[in-house]
Amino acid sequence: MKLKNWCVGFTLLGMVCSVSAETLTVYSAGPKGLSKELVAGFEKETGAKVSLYQATGGKIMARYQAEKSNPHADVMISSSLGHAITLTKAGELLAYQSPNAKHVPDFLKSATYVSQGTAVLAIAYNTQSKLPVPTTWSDLTKPIYKNQVTMPDPRKSGSALTLVEGLSEQMGSKAWTLFSALKANGILIPGANKAALNPVLQGAKSVVFGAVDYIALDLKRKGETINVVYPTDGTVLAPRPIMILKSTKHAVLAKKFVDYMLSKQGQTLVAKTLILPARSDIKSDRPGFGELKLINFDTVSAAAHAEQTRDKFANIMGQ
Amino acid sequence: MSMYKVGKGVRAPLLLNTVSVTLLFMIIGLPVLAIILFAIFPKVNELSFAAPFSQFIPQLQDERLIVATLNSIRLALAVTFSSMLVAVVLAYMRSKMAESIGRMWDVLLLIPFLIPPYIGSMGWMQLLQSNGVLDQWLNINLSNVLFSFSGVVFVITLHLFPVIYFSAASSFKVIGQRYGDVAKIYGANSRQIFSRILLPLIVPTLLSTGLIVFVLTVEEFGTPNILGSRFGFQVMVTAIEEKMSDWPIDLSGASVLSLLLVVIAISAYLLQMFITRRFACKLDNQTMTSVPSKNVWFSMVSNVIFFIVVCLAVVMPIFAIVSSSLMRTVSLGLQWDNLTFNAYTHLFFSNSDALSAIYTSLGLAAMAAVITAIIGMLVAFTLIRLKPRGKAVLDILALLPNAIPAMALSVGLILTWNQTFWPVTPYNSLFILLLAYVCLMLPYPIRMLSNAMKQLPQSLDEAAAIYGANLFVLMYKILFPLMIPIMVASSCIVFAISTRELVASLMLVPAGTETVATYVFNQFDQGSISSGMAMSFIVIVISGALIALGQYMSKRYLS
Repeated sequence: MKLKNWCVGFTLLGMVCSVSAETLTVYSAGPKGLSKELVAGFEKETGAKVSLYQATGGKIMARYQAEKSNPHADVMISSSLGHAITLTKAGELLAYQSPNAKHVPDFLKSATYVSQGTAVLAIAYNTQSKLPVPTTWSDLTKPIYKNQVTMPDPRKSGSALTLVEGLSEQMGSKAWTLFSALKANGILIPGANKAALNPVLQGAKSVVFGAVDYIALDLKRKGETINVVYPTDGTVLAPRPIMILKSTKHAVLAKKFVDYMLSKQGQTLVAKTLILPARSDIKSDRPGFGELKLINFDTVSAAAHAEQTRDKFANIMGQ
Repeated sequence: MSMYKVGKGVRAPLLLNTVSVTLLFMIIGLPVLAIILFAIFPKVNELSFAAPFSQFIPQLQDERLIVATLNSIRLALAVTFSSMLVAVVLAYMRSKMAESIGRMWDVLLLIPFLIPPYIGSMGWMQLLQSNGVLDQWLNINLSNVLFSFSGVVFVITLHLFPVIYFSAASSFKVIGQRYGDVAKIYGANSRQIFSRILLPLIVPTLLSTGLIVFVLTVEEFGTPNILGSRFGFQVMVTAIEEKMSDWPIDLSGASVLSLLLVVIAISAYLLQMFITRRFACKLDNQTMTSVPSKNVWFSMVSNVIFFIVVCLAVVMPIFAIVSSSLMRTVSLGLQWDNLTFNAYTHLFFSNSDALSAIYTSLGLAAMAAVITAIIGMLVAFTLIRLKPRGKAVLDILALLPNAIPAMALSVGLILTWNQTFWPVTPYNSLFILLLAYVCLMLPYPIRMLSNAMKQLPQSLDEAAAIYGANLFVLMYKILFPLMIPIMVASSCIVFAISTRELVASLMLVPAGTETVATYVFNQFDQGSISSGMAMSFIVIVISGALIALGQYMSKRYLS
């Protein structure tokens, strides 16, 4: 009896699902408010329907992998460039150059993905801590910061991994000396980005080495006693790639979605979250490309030996 | 078995067996099978059977894995023993307590089920870490205690001991006073009565619920992740989660590690069976229930101890949740001028998402509670009374959802139901969440109901059979009414845990929908800790109230 009811239920459900087949399915990591606004704006402009699955970067990738035999996602917005590089290599992305991408700097796009915007890696500190404001990465090895510094784990945070790669590219072996010195100074590596930021926010620690800047800037805007400083010796970007999956059955709509995200309207929504918009011609209330000193390095070739980099880092940190 | 084959009900045992086996196989067996396949064939998600077994050796060679495995087992053993200790002491005192006070404590001890472990851990962190509440108010900094093995054991124990407590309390009640009285006449003191008579009598209950706690600890992710990562403590589930979420994602490798957890759970199960068989004693005819103790000192001490435990397991975490929900900013901490109700007004007045998430979760949890209670009853009857051949397999199958990390099980559910060969599928609709909750929660009612049924004398069934009742009459007229309180209790636990289930919800939620837990998670992810905590608190209150209502109604109308 019960089974029969279930069967009836499922049948009805199947009918409902097949009706909604004309919608674009977007898997998105990162700020929920932003994805929802973008989707709402896109639906209004095009009249299309979008169904949005919102989770962490890891979860959307895991769901995508598990669904491979019968894929649902048309577009993915990830918080980690690593995902885009992996999927490009596996040949699972549809190549597309949006006309709106011409305002996007080259290092934020490729044939198969384009960034929605980018986070910048920074030092975030609690202003109540009364410690001197650090200006370079290596300042945090000084005794005054002993046991006061946290850092996101490069195994769990794609942006922290990019920072380790960037610094080791720029400083060579000195980067690894820096990490050893941080370890000796009692750096805490509690997990992904939020896990590293929370103890600083709550005052248990004082400084984050390699914080994702827009999260900290947004908290500052909300009145938290936190501030962000960009080290003078240069920092790296953590782009947020948008990808169209090759398996999509709605390629035209998916391309339109990418266009919308890179339109002035879409980019203004991005700027509102204090993420640095991908288009250089969009104004925002945060330091732009011109005000940042960036470390230039080949992210794709760095990704090829990401595993060794992470292991080497974990070894130094005694993980 | 033969006595169930009377009159019209001759075919009934076979039918019940078939239904139980089919349900368990569909709900639990299929996703588990999918995980096993994924572990063996790393490309099975693309429906390819290439490179079988290529994952096993590289995965199992990882030296960090050995440490993580040992940590998991050590942690689970420590939590199981400390939970048993707390639960037995409390349950014994509860059996001597006046029913009215006792029932109040029971209701309070259901609350830990409602508090998501990761939120509880965040609460403890906020209270105990340096610059935390205790540090600021009393200058006590316990962060070294919290961020240690004992800290993790402490927090998980406070969360899980009620699992044992509720079963132990009902066993103490059933065992009753009589054996104690007899022993007293022969000169035994109360310690001897406890250790020589009561303890052996409740050993089966302790072992089987202890097994759940053991397995749940092995599977626990939130607390080891939040507290353990602060002092480099890795367990298997955190290792599995890492493979599932961190780049490069390796679902097949995670499946291999999940199978290790299954092996650990099955070993624990076999050990439990072995011990039960050796030490447990069987009793029939347990009809007298215990009476409250008249010793004033004893009841005072009991109440004080209950009070302390409730403070630690309920009041402290709730205090932490409420206080963080009221803070305007996290960094200014717990100060009068930093408190505001903004998070609450925002949830109720300017946010339809929050309300629809609450409806979704409560509806799903209620359905899961009812469905698991019915299936649980069926399976318990099959396991305990009909005892089909291969019952151990069923028993183990009913344990597995507790042993496998919810994340792995979710992948198993996707692999199972996201296939084009099904004519209809629950995937990508709310039904997949219902299926996931039922799958994850089934172990609770099955365990609780089988324990209870074990303690119901078989002579009831025999008497019914003599009077010509067939199987359905027996179930409907005799077992069902007697089991109602336990069914309600297990439904309450299922309801409580389902309202806040995070991992499977996050993984399986159909696009465009939110549950309470995913809503809270997204709030935290955006840095709105206060609004996430406010939502958690509201749901704890609502589901707590619904549970209290359900218990009241069941006592009023069903017995």
